[in-house]
Amino acid sequence: MKKHLNDGDLRAALDGELDKAGLQHLESCPACQERQNLIRTQVQQAARRLSFLSAPARPTRPAAQTALTHFHQRINNRKEISMFRKLFASPLVRAGLVIVLILVVVLSIPSTRALAGKFLNLFRVQQVVVVPVDFTGMQQLTGNQTLGKQVSDLISSSITTQQKPGSPVTVADAASASQQAGFNVRVPQGLTPSRISVEGAAAFTIKVDAAKAQALLNESGRSDLVLPSSINGADVSVTIPASVTVSFGTCPDPSAQDTANILNGNGSAGRQYPDCVILAELPTPTVSAPPELNIAQLAQIGLEFTGMTSDQAAAFTQTVDWTSTLVIPLPKNAATYQQVTVDGVTGTLIQRPADDAPQYALLWIKNGIIYAISSLGTNSQQALQLANSLP
Amino acid sequence: MKTDFQTGSTESSSVAQSFEQIFLEHWDAIYRLLVRMTGDPAEAEDLALETFFRLHRHPPQEGEGYNPGGWLYRVATNLGLRSIRSFKRREQYEMRAGKEALEVAQEDRPAVLFEKKEQNRLAHRALAKMNPRRAELLVLRYSGMSYKDIAEALGLSPTSIGPLLLRAEREFEKVYRALDQEEEA
Repeated sequence: MKKHLNDGDLRAALDGELDKAGLQHLESCPACQERQNLIRTQVQQAARRLSFLSAPARPTRPAAQTALTHFHQRINNRKEISMFRKLFASPLVRAGLVIVLILVVVLSIPSTRALAGKFLNLFRVQQVVVVPVDFTGMQQLTGNQTLGKQVSDLISSSITTQQKPGSPVTVADAASASQQAGFNVRVPQGLTPSRISVEGAAAFTIKVDAAKAQALLNESGRSDLVLPSSINGADVSVTIPASVTVSFGTCPDPSAQDTANILNGNGSAGRQYPDCVILAELPTPTVSAPPELNIAQLAQIGLEFTGMTSDQAAAFTQTVDWTSTLVIPLPKNAATYQQVTVDGVTGTLIQRPADDAPQYALLWIKNGIIYAISSLGTNSQQALQLANSLP
Repeated sequence: MKTDFQTGSTESSSVAQSFEQIFLEHWDAIYRLLVRMTGDPAEAEDLALETFFRLHRHPPQEGEGYNPGGWLYRVATNLGLRSIRSFKRREQYEMRAGKEALEVAQEDRPAVLFEKKEQNRLAHRALAKMNPRRAELLVLRYSGMSYKDIAEALGLSPTSIGPLLLRAEREFEKVYRALDQEEEA
């Protein structure tokens, strides 16, 4: 080989990656050797600077078998969370409510009163109960895009909005928030919020076409679940008062999109907003429904649909006072929950596992206001301290 | 043939097993690479799990040149680079990368350790700032991959690696020096 080697070949030779013919030339060519020496200096410099890429790692890593277990947990969690989101993807959930047509309904104290000449049941949330649900049993619905769209269409065609909440508005302090939201906003003593925002009230009516809803149930392979005829055309009115969000630390923008991104996130979101804690305050929404609507029966159907056996659903339904309870279905393997004493009442602490996008939410209801403290982290003690420092 | 780790067919048990084999075979290397890149064990584990999640969800086509190890390295490298480019997290990575380097270093003289920490911090910044394809090449090579494996992972000819690597090293050096001068000024 007479032709001189190019710089790339000379570089490859330094790594022992040059072919035999090239090496033979290099051994006998002083000009190429001289050029290679210059390149060697450059490469050695870069190698020194990048040596951290080949340094031995500390022995703190999870062993492959442990990591594989984490991986399977993550897959299951994502599956459940994804199904959970598809099922409950509605603006109502973002407002902190879980209202699912035909499935599980937000309920409260029934106090019969005359309204426009009709007798209606008026519900008001007084307590929170968590029901663990195995969402993986809903593959048929969530894995089927056509069916999913039909469910979304049914929900959107069943809801008539009377009042839209609009975008959250940032206010200067708790006094302004109280004035705008129309209730006494509580801010923890001794802490300065990074942002206080008020979201307007919302109101809507739900009217269900029982035949369409039943057809969807049948199509999703659950023809064993029969909806009561009483839901057909029943008007359920929901009013959600204005709510207030008090943020501490560096938090994501309160817009729905940003929040959705965070919810979708892996562990990175928690590290991006490590000190963010959000306190939400919402006067209890009211739900009014015709008295003949058997909420417990609907709830049982909803629970069976999400994967509970008939016996399990019936047993759970009996334990809940459906007239005053906000029922939160949680993915069974993706979250844990416990009852805690907070702000002088009993609250519920919901936590997602620490190894995959840890999150916690502390919920309680006091004097007609629903409170929720949430954070992308694991330090739930912080939420309890914060709650207990409310004036 | 397309590998499908998620099918529910009877064939899937053997395929699923092969995913587990790939996982167990490559986990340590992928995790170590990401620890070195980010300096943060928690972030590294998160990104390594994400890497395997992508393999599980969208596995590469089987056929000539099928190389799941190379594919994993490439995905992990890109996730690591994207992560260290993130403005909000970059600073804390640089700090942790420096700390990590101190912990693994054999050297115990404070002045040398400090200099090493500074070098690592600047190197992270340079990788984050330079051409992403060249940064990817540097990470793959300096984490120990052969030219053949790099070529397979990036879909390049093995003979092109030398010239591309030299170009990447020159750009890295240029960016590194510019950052160094910028900080001194």
